[in-house]
Amino acid sequence: MTAPPATIADPTAGVPTARQLRTHLRRARSRHHDHSLSDVLGDAYVMVLFVGMYGWFAISASRDMLDSPTVGQAEPGVRWWLAVAALLAGAGLTWRGLRALGPLLVTPATQSWATSAPVDRRAWLAPRFVLLLLGAAVGTAALGVAVAALGGVSDPAALGWAAAAGAGWGAAALALSVVAQSSRAGRRWPTVAGAVPMVAAAVLTTVVVLVGHLGDGLPRPATTPTVALFALAVPLAGLGTILAVRALPRVDRATLTTGAQFANAAATATILLDPSLLASLVESRRWRRIGRVRSHRFLPGPGWWALLQADVRRLRRHPSALLIWAALIGVQYAAALALPGLAGAAQVVFAYLAANRLTGGLRSISRSAGLRRALGGSDALLRGIHVVVPAVGAGLWWLLTLPTVDPGPASLAPTLALGVVLAVFRAGTRPPIDYGGATVNTPFGMIPIDLLRQGSRGPALLAVLVLVQLFLG
Amino acid sequence: MIVDALSVRGLSRNFGNLVVLDDVSFTLAPGRIAVVLGPNGSGKTTLLRCVVGADRPDAGEVLVQGRRADETDPQVRALVAAALDDIDFFPDLSVVEHLELVAYAHGGNAEPVEEVLAELGLEPARDQLPVTLSSGQRRRLALASCFVRPRRVLILDEPEQRLDVRGRQWLADRLRRERDAGTAVLLASHDPELIDAVVDERIEIGR
Repeated sequence: MTAPPATIADPTAGVPTARQLRTHLRRARSRHHDHSLSDVLGDAYVMVLFVGMYGWFAISASRDMLDSPTVGQAEPGVRWWLAVAALLAGAGLTWRGLRALGPLLVTPATQSWATSAPVDRRAWLAPRFVLLLLGAAVGTAALGVAVAALGGVSDPAALGWAAAAGAGWGAAALALSVVAQSSRAGRRWPTVAGAVPMVAAAVLTTVVVLVGHLGDGLPRPATTPTVALFALAVPLAGLGTILAVRALPRVDRATLTTGAQFANAAATATILLDPSLLASLVESRRWRRIGRVRSHRFLPGPGWWALLQADVRRLRRHPSALLIWAALIGVQYAAALALPGLAGAAQVVFAYLAANRLTGGLRSISRSAGLRRALGGSDALLRGIHVVVPAVGAGLWWLLTLPTVDPGPASLAPTLALGVVLAVFRAGTRPPIDYGGATVNTPFGMIPIDLLRQGSRGPALLAVLVLVQLFLG
Repeated sequence: MIVDALSVRGLSRNFGNLVVLDDVSFTLAPGRIAVVLGPNGSGKTTLLRCVVGADRPDAGEVLVQGRRADETDPQVRALVAAALDDIDFFPDLSVVEHLELVAYAHGGNAEPVEEVLAELGLEPARDQLPVTLSSGQRRRLALASCFVRPRRVLILDEPEQRLDVRGRQWLADRLRRERDAGTAVLLASHDPELIDAVVDERIEIGR
C-alpha cells in the first residue's frame, strides 16, 4: 500500500492550492491552542501604541537636545550632510539585513512538512510578500517622518512628503531584495547594491569632516528634495514589485530556510535577552564563508606568546572587525562636528564599540570552559592574554581621536580610556546567562532584573563612564 | 530508452576557498540503491543537500528523470522525497497530523498514514507532540514523511542513525521494497551491514 506507484503520470495532480494547504495547516494547528485573531490584533495594537508613544517621545527629546546649548551649535550644512550620510549607511545596512534574512523565509518546520510539497511557490509566498511590502512601506514612512521631525520640519505637508518618500524607498528596497533573493548564486548586483550606499556614506562623511576642519563647511541646500526622492521612489517601487512578483516562483528552499535560521536566532536572542545567541550564528557564518586559511607555526616562546599570536592571527582573518574599528574613527570625527558638545561622550561610546570588535578571542575563551581547560593555565591568565589586543586597539583608537575632544583635566582621558578597556573586558568575559535569577513584579509587568544585570555587564560601566565624561569633561 | 532517475553532473561546492565537493558526477537508474561513501568531512551531507536543493552548488547540475532538478519546480518536489538532518517539526501538531499534512500537501489522503505509523512502530506515539518524542522516534517520523507521499527518488542522510536493531532491519527491508517499486534511492550511511544488505552502487567522494 505504501510503496510508490510504478509511474507517476502527473506528479502534481491533485495537489492542493496554496490557500487550501495554508487553511489545512492553520486549522490543524488551531486545534491545539486558542490563540485567536483578536489576540494577535490586540498584541499588534499594544505594540504600535508603545512604538508610537515612545517613538514620538524619543524624537521630541532628541530634537530638543539637538537645539540645546549643551550639544553646541554645528555649521548649518554639517548636520544636514551628515544626516544624509547616516541615511545612506542605514540604507546599506538595511539592505544587508534584508539579504541576511531573506527577506522571504519559511520556518524549518513549514519547509519540512508543507513547502517541500509541489504547492505553487508563488501562491504560497505571495501573502508574506504583500505583508512584508506593507510593513516596509509603513515602517520607512514612519522613519521618514521621524527624520524630517528631527530636522526641524513641522509643516504637515512636508511631513507627508517625507512619509511618502520613506514609504516609496522602503517598498522599493523590500521588493528589490526579494528579486535579489530569487537570483542565482554568484550574481554580483545584490552585493553591489548594498555596497554603493555604504561607500557613498563613507565618502560623504570624509568630505564633510575634511571640509568642516579645513574650510567653512559644506553649505546646506535651500530645500530638502523630498518630493524628488518620492518621484524617484515610486517608479522604482512599482518596477521592483512587478519584478518581485515575477520572481516569487524562483525563490528556493536554500534562501528561504537560511533566513529562517537567522530570524529564529534573532527572536531567541531577543526573548532570552542574550545577544550572544545571534552573534554566534553571525560568527559561524562568517568563518564558514572563509572556509580554509593558511596555517602557520607559531613563533617559539612561552605559552602566553602563542596565545597572543593566535589572537592577532584571528584578527587578521577577520578584517571587517578592523574595518569597523577604523570606520568608527571617521564616525567620531563626524560626531564631533555635528554634536560638538557631546564629542567627549561620543568618544567613550565609539571607543567601546571599536574595541569590542576586537574581543573575538576573549569571548571564545570566556564562553567555553572546555576550551580553557584544553589551553591550560588559570582563567585569569587566559583572560589577561586575550585582553591585550582589545586594550591596544582601544588605546590606539583613543589616541587617534584625541583631536576631536577638549582635553579637560589631565587625568580624565587616561581614566576614561582605561575604563573603556575595563568595560570591554567585562562585556567580553560575560558568562552564559543564568535564567534562575530574581524578577520583580511592577505595574508594567514582571521585570527580570537579574537578567538585565547580567546583560548590562559592560554597558553599565560604559554608562558610568559617559556620565563621568559629561560632568568632568 | 530508460531515463536515469537521478543524474549528477560536475557538481562542485566550496565554502570560501575550501573545496567540499569537486566535480562529482554519477547517475542512478530507477530501482537502484546507491550509497555515498567517504570519510568524515568529505561532503556526503553537502552532496545530498545540493541534490535536494537545500544548498546551492557552485557548479554543476542535477537532473531528475532527465529534468533539471530545480527545487522551485513543483514537478521536481513531487518526485523527490528526502529525509535529511535539517528536518524540523511543528510544536503544536501531533505525529499523525504531521504525516496527514504531508500526504494532503502532495495531493493524497490519509490512507497510507496509519499503515506507515504501524510499520515504523509509531502507533503508540500517534497523538504525541514532537517535543515528547525520543530522538529515535523523531528519526522514524522523519523517515515516515517520505513514505506517505508519492516519490520516484528517495534521498536519505544516514537513515540508520538513532534506530535500534529492529529499526535497522525494518529500514533494510523498506529500502528493498522501494527498489522493487522502481524508486531510485540515494543515501549516505556509515552502517556496513545496511550497505551490504541493500546497496547496488557505491559512490565514493573525498578520497
